[in-house]
Formats: sequence, C-alpha cells, structure tokens
Amino acid sequence: MTYNQAAQHGGPARTHTCPWCGLVTDGTSLNCPACGASIDVGSIVTDSGWTELPGRRDMAKLQFGNSFCQIEGTYVPVADFNLAQGDGVYFAHHVLLWKDPQVDVTAMSLKGAWKRLFAGLPLIMTQAVGPGHVAFSQDSAGEVIALPLQPGQAVDVREHIFMVATLNITYDWFSTGVWFNTRNGDETETHYPLGQFMDRFFAPQTPGLLLLHAAGNVFVRQIPAGHTILVKPTALLFKDPSVQMQLHFEHPAGARSSWRSWGERYLWLRLFGPGRVAVQSAYAHLHDNGRNITRHSNATRQQW
Amino acid sequence: MKHCPTCQRTFDDEKVFCGSDGTRLISDAPAAPPYDYQSSQPAPTPAPQYTEAPPPQQHAEPPRAATPAHAGPLERIRCEWCQAMNEGTALSCRACGAPLDIKNLVSESGWREAPRIKDMTEIHFGMSTCQVEGEIVPVAEINLGPGDAVFFEHHVMLWKDDRTPMSVMPIQGGIKRALAGMPFIISVAQGPGRIAFSRDATGELVVMPLHPGVELDVREHAFLLASHHISYSYVRIKGLRNILFGGQGMFMDRFVTGGEPGLLLLHGYGNVFERYLQAGESIMVEPGAFLYKDASVTMNVETQKLTSGFFGGTGMNLARMTGPGRVGIQSMYVHHHTD
Repeated sequence: MTYNQAAQHGGPARTHTCPWCGLVTDGTSLNCPACGASIDVGSIVTDSGWTELPGRRDMAKLQFGNSFCQIEGTYVPVADFNLAQGDGVYFAHHVLLWKDPQVDVTAMSLKGAWKRLFAGLPLIMTQAVGPGHVAFSQDSAGEVIALPLQPGQAVDVREHIFMVATLNITYDWFSTGVWFNTRNGDETETHYPLGQFMDRFFAPQTPGLLLLHAAGNVFVRQIPAGHTILVKPTALLFKDPSVQMQLHFEHPAGARSSWRSWGERYLWLRLFGPGRVAVQSAYAHLHDNGRNITRHSNATRQQW
Repeated sequence: MKHCPTCQRTFDDEKVFCGSDGTRLISDAPAAPPYDYQSSQPAPTPAPQYTEAPPPQQHAEPPRAATPAHAGPLERIRCEWCQAMNEGTALSCRACGAPLDIKNLVSESGWREAPRIKDMTEIHFGMSTCQVEGEIVPVAEINLGPGDAVFFEHHVMLWKDDRTPMSVMPIQGGIKRALAGMPFIISVAQGPGRIAFSRDATGELVVMPLHPGVELDVREHAFLLASHHISYSYVRIKGLRNILFGGQGMFMDRFVTGGEPGLLLLHGYGNVFERYLQAGESIMVEPGAFLYKDASVTMNVETQKLTSGFFGGTGMNLARMTGPGRVGIQSMYVHHHTD
C-alpha cells in the first residue's frame, strides 16, 4: 500500500490507491470502501510474482450504490448486505444464509436451461431486492473476494465459485472449450477438467460489485502478453476474458502408461496472457482415470 | 461471608474463588466506594449480581472502557460474551475464555461474532479447567478435578490419560435415537484426569457457561461436551415440514441447568454468530446454518417456490426463528436439497 503525499501549499493532498481494485480514496478509512482491503497493510507479493489477496479486517464494510456489504468472520466469511430501496443482488439460492422476513426473494430465469441442467450448473439464479438485510456464505473455509467491476469491465469465473453480484452486473456463461476423451473398451468418456462452462460477469454501464468465495487462500498475478503459466484446472478462480486457456499434458520421465492414475501423466491448464488470473490454494482433486486419451481440445504435451 | 456474583452461592471469608464456576468471590462486608476516574468523586457501589445476557448493542465499546474500573481487590471486568465477572488483571474470561481486551464484534444487522478464543486460553469450571488449543480446528483439553465429570459423543474424543475413568450415561429413548441417527450412547469421563476433544472441520469452539435455570436447544451433533451439572435430553422437532426440510433430522439436543451453573462447549463450522431476538421478532435462517437457540425461540420451516417456467423450478426452505431469545448460527453449513 502506498500513500501519495504531495506537499502542497494550502493543505497536504493525501491519497491512497488500493492495489487490489485501484480505487483512489483519501486514505482516512481503515478499509477500501470498494473491496474491503485493509489500507495500512503492505501488498504481499511472492518472489514468483503472485500477489496475495489483501488482508481484510473483520466487519469491513463495502459500499455500492446506496447499499452496504459487511464481511463478517474470517474462517468462512459471511457477506451481510444492507440493501437500500431499489438496490438488489442475485445469487445461487444455496448460498443464502439468512434474511430479514421482508426481503423479497424471486427467481431470475436463465437462458440455456437444458445445457445448464446437464452441466450441473444451477438452473435458477435468485435475486433479492431491498430494503432489508440478506446474508450469504459458502460451505468451505476460505476467503471472500470482492471484485468491483468498472463500466465495460468483464471477468470470467470458474463454475461454483460465484457467490453474489449486484443487479447492474450482467450474467452470462460460455463453453470452456477445455476437454478430453478417454476410451475404455467401447465406452467413451468426456472429461471437462475446468467444468463444461464458465461464468462471465460484465458491468455494461455502471460500476458493480461481484463477490466470489474461494477455498483456502487466494493469489493473483498479471500475465504479460506472450507469457504463459501452468495451473491446476480446479485451482483457477477467475481470469480476464483476454486470457486464453488450453490443456497441457505432462509425462514425467520414467513413468509407464500402465501406471494409469498412479502418475503416468499430469493434467495442467495453460493460461496465456495478457491479463489477470487468480488461483485458490485449496482445490478439489481432479481425478484422472489414466486411460488412453483418444481426442482432446487444443493442448500442448511435454514428455520428459 | 463472601458470595459468588455468578451463581450467588455463599462461602466462608477465607475462600477466594467459587467452587462451582471459578468466579472470584465478593465479600459481603461493606467496601469502600470505588474511585470514579471520570468525576474524581466516589461512585455508587455497584451491586455484584448475576444478570442475564442483554441484547447485543451495536458498536459496543471495548469491555475495559465500558466497565468502570474499581479500586483495590474489587476491580472486575465483565465479559461481554457470557457476562461473568473477572479479575481486573485478567486477559481472558475465566468462565468462557473470551478475550477481555478486544471489543465485542457486532455487525450492523445485529449479529455478534463469537469471541475468537486465543490459543492456550484456560477456562475454569468447578474444580476443573479447560484449555483451548489451536485456532483452525480447536481442541478442548479438559483437566478434570476430583468429583467433576463431562459428557460427550464418543467420536469427538481426541486423546485421554489412560487412568481417566469412563462410563456411559443412561439415556431414554435409545431406539428412537438410534433410528433418528442420533448417538445411541453418551459417554462420561470422570475426574481426576485429562481428556481432550475436537471435531472434524474448520470452525470455532463456542463456550457457553450456562447459568442456573437456562434451557438451550442445540442442533444435533453440534455439541462437543458438557459438564455434569447440566442435564441432557432431547426434544422431538414438531411438524413434518420441520423434520423433512429443517435440515437437522427429528431431534434437537436440549441442555438444561437446574440450581447450579454448567459449562457447555459447542463446535460451530466456520464462524459463529449470535443474535438476540426480541419477543415477536423474526428472522429467516438457512436451516443447515442453525446452531443453537434458547428454548423460548420458536423455529418453523417455510418453503418458497422458485419457478423457472418449463423446468418447474425448485423450492427454497428457510427456518423462521421467532423471539424472544438467542439464536446462534454457523457460517459453514450443509445445504439441504429441497427439490
């Protein structure tokens, strides 16, 4: 965190630029009002270039429109919204923790219900409109990520990571295009290491707030144009739409194909810059049955 | 004579701490009026008496600042979580382990966060102590004094001294409990000896010193241990909808204190929050997040249909909790499918 202090006559101009969301404030509050990051804690960057999600005080408050969101707790944080008249949020209904009785909850229909049904995605997105309190939490220990989206900004989020978004953010979803087939006798099985679909959130005209829930700790990095990095597919949290993805198969030296799932190959997700990517430290184990891959989407391969 | 400000029992003058709950005793002899730092004038003598936990106040001040300091041996700090009185030099509450130097965290909507118990904090009950070890999945290590005992579900036991006596608590309705998936056997460890407990997920220990005459309903499988002064029973959840969609089966544990206080330890998944509901005040809670409530709080599951045209939609069940009384919730919960 840096303070820009300009020694000017007629009073010092002291500003603070949040390194997480870029909001410029006067630096007098303890937390960034847009994303909740503590403003008196230095940015933590690993030697390899990953930036840790900035620390957030318990009970930190975020503001959007005329409403507020308070992040409560540290192990499994709760996002407690105080919705003003006319403000609203939408969410997958299973993240709802509690609400005031007067807060109206209605269904928000989604396109492509058949595809979502087969992909295991929630069929119904639920929305709540103020005034009143409504609170959300996910079911694993981790962090709540506040992503304020500026007008024209979009972000791609891996499925089941999304927690809640303000109504001025549009929700869409697209095919990840990352898959491979394995064959067992006459049976062909299609695998989607990243999930079949990804969520895309976009703020068309006005700024909005997007909250995600990550398991474990969260790390973000900017991949420059022309650079690439390998991550575990289930560790990916979100990325800029400009970041491209494809599979990468890696075969360690000395391994035999008969070892199958014991370590014959590693599956990676290759991310190409430019753009921002984020990963979570606690991720689901991706089961690979180790059978022969017959077809796959664009991929690279490394045999050591 | 001296008396205990928590349980009001009387003791001889040579006693320093209450033998039941470990609270520092207060002399009944008239004491010099404490010094009022604000006005530099003698302040009225505070009446040391047990008080029920009041509704949480928003933006509560730190306990040290909120409670006037008293001169001499009567200097005490009131714990904001359990209302027990502590020595002026104490850093954590003797009865519940809550830090006394950190202010009560209350959200704007009125939920107060369960106090984050510092690693290695010691809690006193009867002739025994409980040390809370670790912070991510905390362990409750009990050093049982002679004559003291705790009861628990046997699968939460982490380790014990080989000489700590164990027995089984006779409970009624064993077949019903077995059919309902509740523990058929409640185990009892008797002092003297050490025994430690923990659960299987990230969360918080909720330390609840129960004052005499309290009835508390707890979600099944959420209780870690309770001291032997607390009587244990269970209540059947009424209403088919509450059983099917309430997310906690057919029964709730009920803990009742008679004439003596007791110590109850719960394990909440994730973070734990508590709110006091006024009489008639309601709140809608995800059934899987419910952790505990006063017996005076009613709970009824209500279903809201969320439709999606051709696909029919789904139902969303929320438990309506109506006061008066406390309600505790956990932030990490199992979402119960409804469709």
